[in-house]
Amino acid sequence: MKIKEYIESGILEAYVLGSASEAETQELMYLKELHPQIQSALYDLEVDIERMAEYMAIKPPPDIWFKIENDISELVKRPAAEQLSVTSRPRKERGGRKKEYIDVDSKSSHMRVHKIWGWILIAIFILGKVFLGFAIFFYLENRQIKEEISNLKSELKQLKTEIKR
Amino acid sequence: MLNIDQGALTENKLAGVRSLYDRHAAKLLGYIFDVVKDRKLAEEYLVKIFCEVSNQFDDLGWEGSWCQLQRFAKHQLMIFVDTAKYTGLEDREGLTLQHSREAYFGQLTKEQKHIFSEVYYYGKTIAAISIDLDKTEDSIRKTLKEAFAIMRKSGEN
Repeated sequence: MKIKEYIESGILEAYVLGSASEAETQELMYLKELHPQIQSALYDLEVDIERMAEYMAIKPPPDIWFKIENDISELVKRPAAEQLSVTSRPRKERGGRKKEYIDVDSKSSHMRVHKIWGWILIAIFILGKVFLGFAIFFYLENRQIKEEISNLKSELKQLKTEIKR
Repeated sequence: MLNIDQGALTENKLAGVRSLYDRHAAKLLGYIFDVVKDRKLAEEYLVKIFCEVSNQFDDLGWEGSWCQLQRFAKHQLMIFVDTAKYTGLEDREGLTLQHSREAYFGQLTKEQKHIFSEVYYYGKTIAAISIDLDKTEDSIRKTLKEAFAIMRKSGEN
């Protein structure tokens, strides 16, 4: 491969600007190690890009760093808190279907579950109320029937005694 | 003991991010501003990008170069910014360019400016641009190289 032609092809510029394909990048990384000319051309381009960016630089306001520092601290705290709680992660079942499992950390008193469990619990609650209604209804019905039967029995007894007389 | 180690790691990471910030924040803000054309928004994205840098600090193996940070920022901006706001040099053609930008982009032809803009601001690949412009990838790379050479000369002058 002619190195000069390769450098002149524009691949180096495409790489420095982040638009080279995976194959081009791999080839460039390989050739860079073999040919110092490529390494030097690449370095020059990076310097040029940086110089261009310096020309267009805008000084950030002084409070920007404090905002970044605050946000980073928040981000650091958040995962630490999340590590203690329950997390669910998708795993693959034998058939290839995804299934969610819940990992429970005994140190934490909180747990995170899938949103679907909210709906399932509401459905269980409503079904529970329906069954309770049916149970009360049948209980009252049963009690009424029993009373009627005992009334009928007593009437029957009265009738029997009247017939005997 | 674990907490102390965790704290030390956070401090190290923060120091690393601070070092990148000190060296490249102004350049990055200029770059983001060129993409979004809104100073306040550009500052918000600057904060977000440095937070993301901190988030991925251990995974990316930062060498600290501007090009690496710029590529990372470009990728993040493509996630943050919706395409409508994602304008490049093209939309600036009717406007008066700032002196420093004029020095670089003023000498480029329309095609060179378009290709450079697509790559530098939109993060488009050479293959995608060649399909859009119905030209070979080689000719796109050549035009990009020419644009670079012109800008290099403009910068030296």
